Amino acid sequence: MVIYTINRIIQLIPVLLMLSIIVFSFVHFLPGDVIDVLAGEEDLQDPEVRAALEKEFGLDKPIYVQYLVWLGNVLHGNFGKSLVTRRPIALELFDRIPATMYLALVSIAIAMVISIPLGTLAAVKRNTFVDYIAQTTSLFGISIPEFWFAIMCILLFSLYLGWLPSSEYYSPLDNFGKSIKHLILPAVAIGFRQAAYTTRLTRSSMLDEVSREYVDTARSLGLPERKVIYKYTLRNALIPTLTISGIQLYQLLGGTVVIETIFAWPGIGRAIFEAIVARDFPLIQAGVLVLGTFAVTINLLVDLMYRVLNPRVRLT
Amino acid sequence: MARTIFEAEAAREYDLHTPTLKTHVTRYWQGLKNATFELYKSKTAFIGAVMLLILFVTCIITPYIDRYSPVQQNYRKLLQPPSAEHYFGTDRYGRDIWSRVLWGGRRLIVISLLAVLFGITLGVPFGALSGYYGGWMDAVGMRLVDAWLAIPGLLLYLLIVTVAREWKLEGIWIDMTLIFALGIAYVPQVARLVRGSVLAEKEKEYVEASRIIGESNLYTALRQILPNCISPIIVHGTIRLGLDLLIIAALSFLGLGSPPPTPDWGADLALARDHMETKPLIAVFPGLAIAYAVFAFNLFGDGLRDILDPRLVDR
Repeated sequence: MVIYTINRIIQLIPVLLMLSIIVFSFVHFLPGDVIDVLAGEEDLQDPEVRAALEKEFGLDKPIYVQYLVWLGNVLHGNFGKSLVTRRPIALELFDRIPATMYLALVSIAIAMVISIPLGTLAAVKRNTFVDYIAQTTSLFGISIPEFWFAIMCILLFSLYLGWLPSSEYYSPLDNFGKSIKHLILPAVAIGFRQAAYTTRLTRSSMLDEVSREYVDTARSLGLPERKVIYKYTLRNALIPTLTISGIQLYQLLGGTVVIETIFAWPGIGRAIFEAIVARDFPLIQAGVLVLGTFAVTINLLVDLMYRVLNPRVRLT
Repeated sequence: MARTIFEAEAAREYDLHTPTLKTHVTRYWQGLKNATFELYKSKTAFIGAVMLLILFVTCIITPYIDRYSPVQQNYRKLLQPPSAEHYFGTDRYGRDIWSRVLWGGRRLIVISLLAVLFGITLGVPFGALSGYYGGWMDAVGMRLVDAWLAIPGLLLYLLIVTVAREWKLEGIWIDMTLIFALGIAYVPQVARLVRGSVLAEKEKEYVEASRIIGESNLYTALRQILPNCISPIIVHGTIRLGLDLLIIAALSFLGLGSPPPTPDWGADLALARDHMETKPLIAVFPGLAIAYAVFAFNLFGDGLRDILDPRLVDR
């Protein structure tokens, strides 16, 4: 296990390097001079100013040196300055991470609370009314656009019924009640969609498990059905669900852009979206790199967790 | 008449290897008949197929059933409710929503079809060769795939669309960018999927047989192994078509898809959002259109999986 972990961490290095190359080259695909892009002011006419800026950004050096310098800076947490606010990008981004994390974790929790019982129920009562309802609802859930569902939620719960606020974020540390109230709609809007995926997954992996021999053995030993299902089968069937939930978590870190925009949620996805609108390229670059690194790390953790939960994988 | 038994044998063998046009036709006809029967048997696939058929036919006959131009504005008829004249009502600029939904669908479905094709064309050889040859090629290829997949959610599309916006592209090139973005994001997923099935197929006897006969590596990989790995790609691709529609809708909703007058479901929804309190009906139709199309692709994909994966038959 330790060797495997170390191995995986070593394998992470080339992935991160390639990710950094993709992100680094992004600025170079933009039209015009890199100076226009990085300095944020177009058509700098004065050649002396240009030369000074070139020197400041290190653009007079060959491209691989530029890359290495940039990489060195990034590793020291120095992403440069935002073109819009002129604050260091690291601050700009790390301010936003808690909001996104909070939203993503709660949505995944909502998704799991809905999907695990529903998926199990659908599999246990296969080909009954309950199963069909669960299947159709979840298929419908993955078919409707997330933002449409979110808008409909706002329409119903904020405008017509007036139960819940439709935007803004409050830190749970400052004001827990208010924070939860503002969290419910966005978290449900994301959670329902994720639940639709995991319900389908739980159902099919549950069906896979039920047809295994150990289930027959348990039944023939006279164990009550409830115990067979909930104590033995479910445990094995949940492994893929947990894995996918982990993957969903990292997808959500970058995938909540739309929901964060609708609900005015000050998360990292929205920061990147705002940067795109404001043409703040260094911020976009840093944002994608940070989220990508998060993604790779979470992916690794999920893989390791998978091996802890499922000792059979270790043998192969 | 003096053919030896060996020559006759050889001739027969030759026949076996190069079927005439007629055998080709009968074989495909038989295959098609089987496929239709299988479709008919599976409830999900059948409903999905019918829904898709309606969708495609509507897209094809769009020029004959639209009532107005999708971009024609009419300031005397703003935000009207559905009526005999405007089936789905009109939007903020007095444009006919029925026509916009139709033309938008035509455009979106062509884009997502091309995007999936693009992804498959690049991803299949990538994954197949990576899985077949293994070694350092596989290692490098898969690390590249990992890095590509590490960019979560919408961010990759956002990156590509941002670059495209800066180049101030116009007309068809905006659609091309979308196709490129969606396609290139699909490549690593296809590659991984194909690589997985190739690895599983590689160990089977027929591959060994092909090698013993003396077929070249490339021939074995592409003509023997690949056809056996095709069904997961078909299923995955069908479902991806629906997902592409959702991604385009999300991008357009953010205002990063197509520029304003172009009919587009996501952009229309974004417009409708401003009138949500007073005229919620405007938001309903483009939303329903997306839901219908994606649902059809998902249902058909699910049904296909049941048909193509015999392991799941008695579910």
